Amino acid sequence: MLSYFIKRVLAFIPTLIAASMLIFLFIHLIPGDPAAVLLGDTATPEDIAALTRELGLDEPIWRQYIHWFGGVIQGDLGQSLFFKTPVLSVIADGAETSLLLALMTMTWIVIFGVPIGILSATHHGTWIDQLTSGFAIFFASIPTFWLGLYLILFFAVGLGWFPSSGFPSISDDGGWRNLRYLLLPSLTLAAPNAALIIRLVRSSMLDVAKEDHVRTAKAKGLSPAKIAIKHVFRNALIAVAAAFGFTFAALISEAVVTETVFSLPGVGRLVVQSILRRDYPVIQGVILIIVLLYLSINLIVDLAYGWLDPRVSLQ
Amino acid sequence: MIDAIKNRAISIRRVFAGRKVAALGAIWLCIVLVAAVFAPWVAPFDPLEIDPVARLTEPGAPYLFGTDHFGRDTFSRALHGARMAILIGVGSVLIALILGGLVGMLSAYFTKLGHVLMRAVDVLMAFPALLLALVLMTLLERSVANTIIVIGLVYAATTSRILFGMTLKLKNDVFIDAARCSGAGHFSLLFRHILPNLLSPLLVQATFIFAFAQLQAAALDFLGLGLPPEVPSWGNMLSEERIYITRAPWLLLFPGLLIIFSVFSVNLVGDAMRDSLDPRFKDDIAGV
Repeated sequence: MLSYFIKRVLAFIPTLIAASMLIFLFIHLIPGDPAAVLLGDTATPEDIAALTRELGLDEPIWRQYIHWFGGVIQGDLGQSLFFKTPVLSVIADGAETSLLLALMTMTWIVIFGVPIGILSATHHGTWIDQLTSGFAIFFASIPTFWLGLYLILFFAVGLGWFPSSGFPSISDDGGWRNLRYLLLPSLTLAAPNAALIIRLVRSSMLDVAKEDHVRTAKAKGLSPAKIAIKHVFRNALIAVAAAFGFTFAALISEAVVTETVFSLPGVGRLVVQSILRRDYPVIQGVILIIVLLYLSINLIVDLAYGWLDPRVSLQ
Repeated sequence: MIDAIKNRAISIRRVFAGRKVAALGAIWLCIVLVAAVFAPWVAPFDPLEIDPVARLTEPGAPYLFGTDHFGRDTFSRALHGARMAILIGVGSVLIALILGGLVGMLSAYFTKLGHVLMRAVDVLMAFPALLLALVLMTLLERSVANTIIVIGLVYAATTSRILFGMTLKLKNDVFIDAARCSGAGHFSLLFRHILPNLLSPLLVQATFIFAFAQLQAAALDFLGLGLPPEVPSWGNMLSEERIYITRAPWLLLFPGLLIIFSVFSVNLVGDAMRDSLDPRFKDDIAGV
């Protein structure tokens, strides 16, 4: 068990370092001179050359990488070319929106995804199962931005129930009531991911239902509802939790799009805007942090899985 | 030969038996394919022809789906968009399966090579799919070919991991030992004995990649990092006309529904196929 834990943690570090090299390399392969972009059209070649030296862009790439990664370890992701402030504080500004959006989305996913998934599994093979499974696949087939645009059209522009875009911080005027800005975005983001969870709860419950202990529970004469919740669903939760890393990746990808549709000042929109602004230090920083988060979640899921199901760690 | 075709027909019947919705999905995909092939002859208007007088016309004759803010016929653009959808789907599936398949199979078969290659795949898989696609698209020019390559590459990583697992399961099977004992070389073992057993799970995987590719391409188009803006794709039609949604709500309806119906259909067909798959590989396939 311990050797499994150590092996997992040791695999995490080189992957993270290799990913950071890849990010750095990608960003430096982007066509266009950041110094020229920064100074605009009126810059003279001398100005560009001076700024290139100042930013250290004339050094060999491996030395630039070491310089950058050295800073990263100390929590310094560099300066944003666009905002002229530290990258970390630019990212921190978007964190509140993205975190609250993620929390609200997760709430919808649990509220809708889990009960419908249980319903689908307990009515396996009936029209209820076919209908819910069909709906799940359908919602997973909708482009998130399209759903977002029509939700804005109906509920924000048409009915005027919710604001259509933006998100003032909850420390601003309005406090927690500002969460209404996140209602439509979180529903948009939840739709395809709840579909994912419905499918997952259903299939893992059907797997567990085949096992001997469920047959024993049936033989003991327990009620179907008790078997479904206490014996099947609880065991199926392990598989659902194991897929959390996958859900997180899907959530991040779709958050990039959703935050853009609703003009939310979050980390996802920051990725797109930094790419369009050619703000290299910010692109590097945001992507590194997302990758770090994603790898950490996968590591925790792996470790928890090995702990919950010791057979895994023996393989 | 005739027997083989008969068997194939029976298995198609088995896939769609009792799954009427999936059969409808397959029919819809055939319609999209026909539209894609015959778009230039069927389309009533030139998809690029600008007509300022007719801008933002409501659906009706002669503009079946209405016109966009340049006065271009949405129906004709949608037909040409079907071409892009098929092209991107097929292209990225081919790249993902061939590249990912090779990496996965070779890694499982040659253990030492596998150690290196699968670590590289791990690094690529550390990026959420759309994020990797975004960064790669930033490096490249916006073009149809580059979009296909980038989406194909992103899903090649996923595919290689799946193929790795499936090849490992087969590698130590008795029939592989038997083939080896009768003198089969590495090449023959991999491509004549292992690969044929993986073809049907690969086909199922292909359907899911096709579906994901449609959504990814549409998202890239929407973020302004996908196909060049002048290309009439369903994603670009949504992206270009989004600011007119309040003035012309129908404008985004048709391209959006086309994407949804197509992705939904591919997913249904893939799902039906997965259910009639060899149970050993069922858990390996990553779909919706």
